Amino acid sequence: MSASPSERREAWLFVSPAIATIAAVAIIPMAWTVWESLHLHDLRMPWLGRPFVGADNYLEAFGDERFRDAMARTFAFAAASVSLELVIGLIFALAMSHALRARALIRVLVLMAWAVPTVVAALVWRFMFEGPSGVAGSLLAALGVVDAGFSWFVHPVAAWVPILLADAWKMTPFVALLLLAGLESIDPSLYDAARMDGAGAWRQFREITLPLLRPALLVAVLFRALDAFRVFDVIYVMTGGGPGTSTEPISLYTFTTLLQHLRFGYGSALSVLVFLTTFVLALLYIRLVGRNLLEAKP
Amino acid sequence: MMVRAVTLALMLLAAGCAREDRRDVLTFSGSAVGREADVLRTQLARFAAERGIRVEIRATPDSADQRHQLYVQWLNARSPEPDILQLDVIWTPEFAAAGWLLPLDRFAHDTADFFPATLEANRWQGVLFGLPWFVDVGMLYWRTDLFDRAPGTFDDLAGGAARALRDGRVRYGLVWQAARYEGLMTVFVEILGGFGGAILDEAGAVAVDAPAAVSALTWMRDAIHREGIVPSAALTWQEEQTRFAFQTGAAAAMRNWPYAYALLSAGDSAVAGRFAVSPMPAVPGTGAPTGALGGSQLAINARTAQPDEAWAVVEYLTAPEQMLERARVVGQFPSRASVYEPGRGLEGVLGIDPAAARDVVAAARPRPVTPVYTQLSEILQIRVHRALTRQQEPAAALHEAAREMRALLARSGLAAERTTEGP
Repeated sequence: MSASPSERREAWLFVSPAIATIAAVAIIPMAWTVWESLHLHDLRMPWLGRPFVGADNYLEAFGDERFRDAMARTFAFAAASVSLELVIGLIFALAMSHALRARALIRVLVLMAWAVPTVVAALVWRFMFEGPSGVAGSLLAALGVVDAGFSWFVHPVAAWVPILLADAWKMTPFVALLLLAGLESIDPSLYDAARMDGAGAWRQFREITLPLLRPALLVAVLFRALDAFRVFDVIYVMTGGGPGTSTEPISLYTFTTLLQHLRFGYGSALSVLVFLTTFVLALLYIRLVGRNLLEAKP
Repeated sequence: MMVRAVTLALMLLAAGCAREDRRDVLTFSGSAVGREADVLRTQLARFAAERGIRVEIRATPDSADQRHQLYVQWLNARSPEPDILQLDVIWTPEFAAAGWLLPLDRFAHDTADFFPATLEANRWQGVLFGLPWFVDVGMLYWRTDLFDRAPGTFDDLAGGAARALRDGRVRYGLVWQAARYEGLMTVFVEILGGFGGAILDEAGAVAVDAPAAVSALTWMRDAIHREGIVPSAALTWQEEQTRFAFQTGAAAAMRNWPYAYALLSAGDSAVAGRFAVSPMPAVPGTGAPTGALGGSQLAINARTAQPDEAWAVVEYLTAPEQMLERARVVGQFPSRASVYEPGRGLEGVLGIDPAAARDVVAAARPRPVTPVYTQLSEILQIRVHRALTRQQEPAAALHEAAREMRALLARSGLAAERTTEGP
């Protein structure tokens, strides 16, 4: 169908507010950040001026051990937290869909954690693990998992345990909800047929539930992985990136560089690199999921 | 961020509109909460009545980081307001080097009364940019029922703390602020001074990888992990957690600021009447008792339209009478030595005996006086915290810190004026 020039003009007129909005809130700020990243712009060293430095900030980032470590750490955190949430979320979803009584109540209970603001949840988890009097800390000590007086947030590896638990506690309900929607869309007659053919519960799960749940699983992974990659508040509240910098994710490092060190040029370069990384990941993933979604359709 | 930008814009707009009929109104930015705000308002009202110059208080965030960020935004935008700024002790050189502060030498003729360390912290390249308003200083709180006398050396301190622990009298031997934040730097500066080391040497070169610094950091790490006198939980503690530990009687000694004194003496404190304060310990002969210098300064915006009036305000607020009143109302330590003299009215005001308070303040040393202090501090915080959490050996951590600090000085362009060549 071809439109006349006047119709085309009209069409542009109608979409122009949307385009202007997108430009104002997304494209212009992004372009500005890229432009900023090509300058030396350090608000705390105004005597250096604001010269154009080309790719210097990017070169510094590639040589910056703290940046590289933060990137690697963020990927590891995303992988660990998403796997954890997927497994527990699936169990929750199955339980919710099989519940015979009080379904609404169970769903509300499961979703409650998700409704708690992250900062509040993170603070509660911090108190539970902090110091010798923390509930979780002293319980684990009483069970003999760790020595009495063990400080979770002081150990570079152990500090991840409360962080991962807090994140999983908070985000698993979201995964469970997505998967529950996927489960509900599976035709119950498939299970009836399988039972008729003598398939056990495990066989039904492997042959019917998992394959048909795949689109929902992939969507959940995409959402959660991108979210986990941007992890900030949980860690900011719980450890502030410490001990040393051993729990510092990339978003926290970028935040510190931009808003605490006020290094606008370098911070912008870091932001651009993070943006490019997530963008490429999301692109790859969507291509992958897109194909799978199509294949999954009957 | 957005809210702040809008607020800022509105404030600038309001200031711009009102400029005409407000020739005699100055603006003051600083902490404006609680009793601090009350005493400031009282004094400014008195000043207005006496001199006919009105000063408006412009509230700023109470968190130091946020206030700093706001100041940088204002001053970077060349705003002539606020005229008078309350600065943290570590900001003066940064703002001075940026050209944001008015040099005060042509006004301040008589500064002999101020503690020398407080003036040193307010000079950049020999020029005075801020006047000390009140001081904060790190000191040692110790239990008089557990120590025979003030622990003057690290051995006294560690020995007494270990004994109290062994006898089961306390849960912790010594508590200090060792979370990864500026507070850790103040503790480190104090121990470092006690071992005869420094972060930057006299010439401004990085000295944090010198043997004295390695000994100091090793002592700190061993106090936590080998001798066990400092709980490892202290590696996440700031001022208040250490105060709780000491106030409930769980610790034999504590490093903290003066604010804790009144709280520890209060009726609900388990240690009321059973503790004393003294300067931080030192290695005899090698180091000197060192307290980190904190506190607030008053400085004048370089772009103020009324420098003389602004100076009049600063002069008034830093006069002995106002300092005494501040000490009485808020409990903040005066930055003038004369105020501590007997008969000046400071007795019973600070909780601490004025002579003892004066000794502690006299041991105060500024943290490195450099425009890039905050950046240097962050590098060091991370490395020191790594060493204290046993992720790195003290020598290696300090070596890395020194390398990064030298690179920062080179990048800042400050290294050129001074010799900062590494080994």
